[in-house]
Amino acid sequence: MKKIAFIICFIFTFGFGFSQIKSNEKLVYAASYNMSGLMTQLAQVTMNTETIKTSKKTFLHLSWEAATFSKWDNYFKIRDMYETYVDPVTLKPSLYKRDIYEGGYTKTEKYIFSANGNSINSTTKKRNRPETKKAFAVSSSTRDIISMIYKLRTINFSQYKPGQSASFIIVFDEKEYPVYVKYMGVETISAGPLGKKQCLKLSVTAKTDKLKGKDKNLIWITADASRVPVLIRFSIPVGTGQLMLSNASGI
Amino acid sequence: MRKLYVISAVFFAVLGIVFTILPLGTIAFLPIGITLILSFLAIYKSKFNQQKLPKIILFISVLTFLVVIGKVIFVRDIVASDKLFEQNKVESKKEDIKDLEGL
Repeated sequence: MKKIAFIICFIFTFGFGFSQIKSNEKLVYAASYNMSGLMTQLAQVTMNTETIKTSKKTFLHLSWEAATFSKWDNYFKIRDMYETYVDPVTLKPSLYKRDIYEGGYTKTEKYIFSANGNSINSTTKKRNRPETKKAFAVSSSTRDIISMIYKLRTINFSQYKPGQSASFIIVFDEKEYPVYVKYMGVETISAGPLGKKQCLKLSVTAKTDKLKGKDKNLIWITADASRVPVLIRFSIPVGTGQLMLSNASGI
Repeated sequence: MRKLYVISAVFFAVLGIVFTILPLGTIAFLPIGITLILSFLAIYKSKFNQQKLPKIILFISVLTFLVVIGKVIFVRDIVASDKLFEQNKVESKKEDIKDLEGL
């Protein structure tokens, strides 16, 4: 379960490029899994952005939600929610939350980042186990997976040469993972509701056994200013799949 | 040989029915396709008075094939409204704002 959650989220991490992240943006994807050579649609993945104001500060609320299509709910229901509150300009996270339900398995996580970003206070609860609290040190550049997704969108990959990589550190399950995103060039692909679009092709690798193969975890993001991730292909130890943009608004 | 075709056809026909009932989409075409081939072979290898069972299997495979086509065309992929999930989201957001006020 942990692997599935990580992989789904991880795959989503790398579809993004050079743009200012707007509030009220909504991107909807159809998630498919390759079964015996045929893609079967399993779930809907929705990404939202929203401005949240407190008495002291303004945050950008970034959320990622995965829900299985109703036809699958009786067999393997998924209701996953990943969210983070970030600085609207730097996209540095202050609060990250993960609440997953995957076929009966549940887990909640809350990370509160220190002001300098060097430590995290986490609160975790797995299915039937008691809640645990932990404080641990992280690198100042470490991000949660969702803010990482959006940060990636602000990178100007057009200045990169094919083969050149950007590196990041993400924190997941209270562990840090180095992640590399390789720019592979420009391709024109069908971008669902956006029609045919020129896209930047990116390859994602991470020092984890959760992603498989070389250049098999790929993301295509539009080469325009909105940098919308339109197609994500992933390869994991138990198979391959993809996320295809099915609806986009506020971009 | 005929027995092998019939037994295999029955096995794949059952698999085809299971796949048709489950929301596996076009994957069900795999066992259904194999059933079609095996049932044709079984009919071909059977004497006239032995063709009843292979013909029934063939009929089942055609039926499941049509059901799968119908499901692919008419059943839309939608996410069911989940009130508990939505309620949790609202409550979670209220908690988050409290946490953010404290930062």
